Formats: sequence, C-alpha cells, structure tokens
Amino acid sequence: MFKPSRRGFLVGCSAAIATWASGLSFTAFGSAGTEPNQEILVVVFLRGGVDGLNIVLPIAGEDRAHYEARRPRLAVPLTGANAALPLDARLGLHPGATALYGLYQEQKLAIVHAAGLTSDTRSHFDAMQFMELGTPDSKSSTTGWLTRHLRSASNLPASLIVPALAVGNLQPSSLLGNRQSIGMTTPNDFNFGGHWEFGDWQRVALRKMYDGSSWLHQAALQTMDALDVVERANPGTYAPGNGAVYPNGSFGRSLQTVAQVIRMQLGLQVATLDLGGWDTHEYQGDGGTGYLSDKLKELGQGIEALLLDLSNDNGTDHTRRLTVVVMSEFGRSFQENASRGTDHGHGNIMLVAGGAVNGGRVHGEWPGLATDQLYDRRDLAITTDYRRVLSEILIRRLGNPQLGAVFPGYRSYTPLGVVQGTDLNPDYTEATPAPSQRIYLPAVQN
Amino acid sequence: MTDNSQLPGTVEPRSAQRVAERALQWSRVGRAVGEEVDLPAPEIIALNRMGFGPRPGDLEALSALGSDSTARLQAYVDQQLNPESIDDSTCDALLAAQAFVTLGKSRQQLWQEHVVKEGVTWEERMQPVAETLRATFLRAIYSKRQLVEVLADFWHNHFNVYGWDSWSAGTWVHYDRDVVRGNLLGNFRQMLGAVAQSAAMLYYLDNVSNTSAGPNENYARELFELHTLGAENYLGVASIVGPDGQYLHPAPKDANGHPLLYIDEDIYAATQCFTGWRINTESGDFQFVDSVHAKYSKIVLAQATPSGAGVQDGEFVLDLLAAHPGTARYLCRKLCRRLIADDPPEAIVEAAAAVFYSQREAPDQLKQVVRTILLSPEFRATWGEKIKRPLEYTCSLLRASGANFAWSDSFRYRYDALGQAFYSWRPPDGYPDRKEEWSSTMPMLQRWRFCNWLMDGWRVGGEGADKDTLRIDCRSQLPAHITSAAAIVDFWAQRLLGRSLPAAERGALIEFMAGGRNPENSLPASQIDERLRFLVGLFFMAPSFQWR
Repeated sequence: MFKPSRRGFLVGCSAAIATWASGLSFTAFGSAGTEPNQEILVVVFLRGGVDGLNIVLPIAGEDRAHYEARRPRLAVPLTGANAALPLDARLGLHPGATALYGLYQEQKLAIVHAAGLTSDTRSHFDAMQFMELGTPDSKSSTTGWLTRHLRSASNLPASLIVPALAVGNLQPSSLLGNRQSIGMTTPNDFNFGGHWEFGDWQRVALRKMYDGSSWLHQAALQTMDALDVVERANPGTYAPGNGAVYPNGSFGRSLQTVAQVIRMQLGLQVATLDLGGWDTHEYQGDGGTGYLSDKLKELGQGIEALLLDLSNDNGTDHTRRLTVVVMSEFGRSFQENASRGTDHGHGNIMLVAGGAVNGGRVHGEWPGLATDQLYDRRDLAITTDYRRVLSEILIRRLGNPQLGAVFPGYRSYTPLGVVQGTDLNPDYTEATPAPSQRIYLPAVQN
Repeated sequence: MTDNSQLPGTVEPRSAQRVAERALQWSRVGRAVGEEVDLPAPEIIALNRMGFGPRPGDLEALSALGSDSTARLQAYVDQQLNPESIDDSTCDALLAAQAFVTLGKSRQQLWQEHVVKEGVTWEERMQPVAETLRATFLRAIYSKRQLVEVLADFWHNHFNVYGWDSWSAGTWVHYDRDVVRGNLLGNFRQMLGAVAQSAAMLYYLDNVSNTSAGPNENYARELFELHTLGAENYLGVASIVGPDGQYLHPAPKDANGHPLLYIDEDIYAATQCFTGWRINTESGDFQFVDSVHAKYSKIVLAQATPSGAGVQDGEFVLDLLAAHPGTARYLCRKLCRRLIADDPPEAIVEAAAAVFYSQREAPDQLKQVVRTILLSPEFRATWGEKIKRPLEYTCSLLRASGANFAWSDSFRYRYDALGQAFYSWRPPDGYPDRKEEWSSTMPMLQRWRFCNWLMDGWRVGGEGADKDTLRIDCRSQLPAHITSAAAIVDFWAQRLLGRSLPAAERGALIEFMAGGRNPENSLPASQIDERLRFLVGLFFMAPSFQWR
C-alpha cells in the first residue's frame, strides 16, 4: 500500500506555495520589513447602529443644552465619576471609552464626527449592504468595496498568499465576490481534523472531487488552499507582544486572530471583523454608565491591545503600516426613547486608529444639534460621506487612487486629513475591475 | 369597483427595480454547470427540498405512490400537506421516550413556572427552549412529516427571535408550538397576529416598552421590513406632506389608491398603533394597556385609524400589511427561495403570490401557497443553485446514513460550530438563505470537520461515552457480496444520494477505497473494515451531497 509522499497539503498545490512551504521559515516573505504588503487595513464594523452621539458628545455651548434636553437620562455628565473625557473645546468622549481616550491622547486615534452613509434609509440591512458594497442606494453590486480595492490596486505584489481575511463564520458584504479572502474564527480551529492515517488520503480525494468550475467547487478548493497555508504557518500557541491583553469574548479573540495572521506574514492586505450588539433600543445606560459603557470598554481595550501587540513582533513594529477603521451602519436618534434607549438614526462617528493617523483630533464639520440642523429634524446630520474617509485611507495609506472602481458614483473627493500619507490624483474611471490575474492562493494543478 | 381577489401589478419604480437588480446580480454569480451537477429525478428533489433528505427506504416509498413522477409528486405533496394523515408513531415514541416536561405546558404555565416563578433557576428558564431544540432535531431526523419541519424552520427564521434570553427561552414552547407550528399551514394574518402578541416577540423587539409618551419603533420597523412588506417595498425616508400642505403619501399607488411602498412615516405611525401591546406579567397572556396607548388617529399607508380604537389600532396595521400585495410577493419570494432556488424564477413567485393574495382570508392560505410552489414546473426543474445549510446538511447526513441519533452535548458543540446554532441568530432577519453566505471558507471547512468527527472510531463502533446515542454503522449496511472498490462506491451512491455520481467524484472515491488495488477486484475484508467509514465520510463531503 502506498501513501502520499508528503502531507496532503502539498498535493495539487502550485509551485509558488510548494516553494514557500518547503522553506524553513514560517514567514512567507522574509522579514517583516521586507514583506511586500507594506500597508494593512483592518475594518471593524459595529453591527446594529452605534450611538455615536453618546460616545462623542457635546460638552459646551448650545448643543450641550440641546443634548441634555433630548437625552435627560442618557446624557453623559460633565462632572463626577462618569464625566465626559474632553476631546476638544466642544466635544467629549464617553467615560467608558478610557482605552480609546488613551489612544487619542497618544495621537494614535482620530475621530470623525457627523460621518456616515447619506442614503435615506434607517434600515439596518439596507444600510449595511449599501455601505459594505460601497454603492449607496444600490444592492446590485456583486462585489464589495474591499474586493474592488484589491482588484483595482496596481501597487500590490505579484504574489500574495492570504490577501484578505474575514474573521468569523460568515463573510461580510465588503468582501463579496472576493474568492481570495479566507474566513476563520481562529487559526487553531482552522484544520481538517482528519484521521491520522486516512485524513491525508481524504484530502487528496477532496481535491479531485472538487476539481470543477462551479461556485461550490471553487469555494471548496479555496478552502483547501487556505487550510494548507494556515496549517503550515500556524505556530500553534500565540503570545501577544508587549504583554497585550485582549478583552474576553469573541471580539477580543477576533482581533487576536487578525494579529496572529499579520504576524504569520502571509501578505495580508485587508481584514474585516465585527462587533455586534449596538442596536440599543432599550436601557443603553444612563449618565455614562451601563451597557454602552461596557461595550465601549470592550471596543477600546480590543483596539488598544491590537496596537500594543503588533507594535513589537520580535522587534518589528507592524503598527506603522496598520490602519484600523471603525464604522457602523448609522447613528441613533437624537431623542432618547421611553425605554432609556435610542432608535435608528443617521449621522455617526467613525474611528481611525493606527501608526500613521492624524490622531488626537476630531475631524469633520460639526453640523449642530438644533432641530433645524438635524437630518429629517430628528437625527445628527451627515457632513462627511463615509466614502471620503475610506477614500483617504485608500489613497494615503494603501496607495490606491482608483476611487471610481472602488466607490462608483463617488466624486469630488478631497482629503479630510485623518491619516498621513501622499496624495494621489483620484481616478474616477468606473470600469469594474475583473478578478485579478495575480497569484493569490494557489490554483489547483493536477 | 376593483376586483379584490386579483393580485395588483408589480410596483414601479423602486421594488421592480430592486427585483431586476437582484435577478441581474445573481445571474452574474457563477452557476453550477451541466457536467458538475445534473438535474436529479423529481422524487429526489422532493425528498431533499420538502424535507431533510431521504432516509433509507424513503425513495422506494415515494416511488410506490404513483406510476410516474408527476403522480408521485402530487401524492407526496398532498400527503405532506396533511401531516395528521401520516403515521408518525416511530418519531412520536422517540419523543415520548425523552420524557420532556415542558412541551405540553400551556402558555400560562410556561410563563408562571419558567419565567416569573420566585427563585427560578437558569436551567428552569432555559428548559423550554432546550427541550424544543432537542425535539426539533429528533423530528427533523425521524419524523415522516418532513415538510412541517422544513416549514417550521422557515417560519422560525422569518419571524426570528433570539431564543436564549430570559423572556423568550421560558416561553419558547408556546412560540414554537402555538405560534409557528400552529399556523404554518394556516393563515398568514393569524400567524402574524400570534407572533405580535407572543411574549417572545414582544420582548425581543422591545414593544413591551413602546408607549405613547416614549415610542419604541423597533417592532414596527421590523414588522414592515422583515415580517411583511420586506425591504424591497421600502421607499426610504420621505415626506408625507404634499405641495399644498395636505397629506400625500409619496409612493406609487394601486388601483384603490393604496400606497404600494412604505416610508419611515408609516413606521412611526404604526409604532403609535402598537403602543400598549404588552404581556400581563402575572398570567403571561397578551395584555393591552390603554393608559400608555396613543389615542389619537394615526395614518398608516394612507389609511387613518379611527381615534380611540385601542387595541384595534395594532390589529388594523396587521390587517393592512397582511393583505398588501407587496407582502404577498415578498413572502412568496422567500418561500420560493427556501423551497426552490436562491433566485427563484419570477413566474413561480408571481403564481404563488397570486394565491397568497386571493386566499388571504382562507384558513388554509399558506397550505395553498406551499402547494402551488411544490407542484410548479419550476420546483422540479431546478437543482444545484442552493447549498444545504448546516441544519439540512447535518440532518440529511444522519438520515441518509441511518444513524442512531440522540442529542448530546458533544454533538451540539460540533453542530453549533457549523454556524447555524438553533434560535441563536441575534439580528431579527433570521439566518441567511443564500449560497454565498454558506460557501465561504469557514462554513465549508466546518462541514468537513463535522464529518471527520462523526466518522471517528468512537461513533462508528468502539466503546465511547456516546456509544448508545450516536452511531453510524456503515459496515452492517453494506451487503456482503459487494466487495470491490467500484461496486462499494456505486452502492453507496445509490444508497446515500439515490443516483450515480458524476465521474470526477466517482473516480476520486473509488481511488480512495481501492488504496492502490485494482478497483474492480474484491478488496480484503480488513481494508473494507478500515476504510469504509472514511469513504462514507467523503460522500458527505462531496459536491453531490451539498446541493439542494
């Protein structure tokens, strides 16, 4: 009886992977400094519509009075143990967000206020689709905005192993149509789990059974490719750098997975992860305490841990090429409701963290909170299209000026100044880029 | 006068545009192609889409129902649509043997004993949902009333409630038995009303705290967007004030002048209509609290409620929505997506919606709608455009392999990892029902891991802790005279799929089974012993076993 000559992972994979896998190092591209993907974008989506107006809130002037009037119970106080943390002369931060405040003071965190999706919708599902597809008012795109970024960027290296990572069980719409993105909860669960003797043979059979072109065949082949790579690269146990401690729960685990994959150096370009539970129609916490406060701790501590962890990978600081953007489908109603919560609203905050942000500032034009300044006389207005923030990151950090491809229909981009980097002339050509011919994960070769 | 039984024409511009957009969108996504997936016999389609796949003997039983596929399908559909006519004693006995204690309790008993009882423990709170979960799994695997199980899963997702919160968990038996199962072949308006007045939904979407002084729109919004009209009939944020300052609903109208699309203003008005809809915290019954109800007249979809109508305000909204042509189309498109294809042909959606609409007063409205879908030419002409979701995957695997199944914590742990844990989807839209959502890397990999766990030695023989509860005995199901690799693969293809395999799959499986020997010659018994369960595991990982 014969056996596969190598472990199953080498069966049917491309020369590029075989070469990589036969090396002694777990590092795909040599040292971190020479890894071709100089920039990494991590997109954190806060599902449910986060109440940005109670995270970054007015602390002075007329708007403070409007705020206290509309939110008699929810308002974050200006004094006492739960006082707002001052960001600038007008705005303060929710006291639960102390970790974010620390990052803000270290200028590693920038805040954009009154940002968001300008579509007239208060539907979670429509708003998330519009935002993540990058096509406001239309759900007909077969590709997400991150997919189109990866397809249109001309500065990516010819060979990447894991260009996109979706942490969690399901792939977000921002990566729709991307056959190269892999999804995982943690690298440790990302294995075949087969029988010691027959598992490899089963994988040989799987490769052959899925040698076809349908969506299902392609999905399975991609899964097998990802398995091969991650099993090989996964160091098993993971020790965060700098003694970083991720918060308990799935969000902390997801962030750690992102860090782990970055440190595996597989050429990661974009990663997506979710933190849910922001649809606070009820009891979101009075006076700067309670549920929202706890959620902000989880969010802030998570991002803080990610930056801390990645700032020292055996001496390499990955954060200088890392940009984390935090967004949500919409903000919440200015008026608190009778259940001590808030209903679906409009304008919101976006957070941008990393090693090359213009941190320690609240960016964007503040529209005011008087009734006739509100959207639909009800919610915070939007003065910054969310695409403007993302476009700036695309251009200044990721070096991709193909705004027409990534955000079709979006025009007249100007940088807001949220991140550092070189400005490039935006290209508004809307041609939808075809799937790239670059080598990502190996194609099957029998 | 307008004919009230005819489904009004499709709406222009927005929803029609969305339908077209959607059709276009999915036509661009890669399709399964001929050589990789071919259309199975209607009997096989029926067993896989009206149920959780065939058990051994099911295909033969279905074939005995008539002389040709059309007659058989018709007989089978009628049988399944009249579940009480099906002898389900085997499953009933299995359920009885579980000694469940909550499944027979009344709504009031559940509330009093599992929600508000002094000192109620967490286990007591969770017991109704935990027992429902176990019973549902047993039924999906053993019940002969398969269509009921498929539809229960559909409606639980349509009227999604997170089942493991204090309020929902303790009353889950009521929600599952009386609200969902009690209406799934009945009338949609009745089901909608039962949902609206259930403790599970009233707490899940916060309507219990919706008052005139402090409206909470959560329920009203999802009622429009998810339960009835659907996002495809949402016009967005728009004004109801016309050029002359009068009320003017901006949506296109039907022949009676009724708006065909809804806007935010409709949601806000409906929110007011549902103020005061609560639960009596002593009895657990629905309760209308007039003191917090908005008493003035409200205008929803251009129709005004009389002032002072009390609880009838909410009923009025439910009437309006259940009888709306947009609801008929949205619901039928969803049902067709579940029962036929991710992007069902518009013809069958329209045909089903016409029945839904014209039969909206009928006590068996939903039975007629489902019958229309299942007996349509589209039902038997479509295959391979859906992937089994984890529930269908797991149950079809256990059914096809004749597994001896019983619930265990380790099974649950493995099942939940597949990504469709029961009653655990937190947002109100229910688990997604499109192949894109279930064919990315993690869901694919978890299927294989599940098979590998299942085909591990402990579950096919040996003395593991679950030896009496979960067993798949592949060896005893293989007739003694079938001994070559090719014959073994062909036998299991018929046995598990009811048909032969595509060449690529057959070749790979034969090669695995033969292990280097001549595939046409008898294999040593030891090799069959050793490899058979892994071969069966591979069948369950194969493309042919994933389609629906």
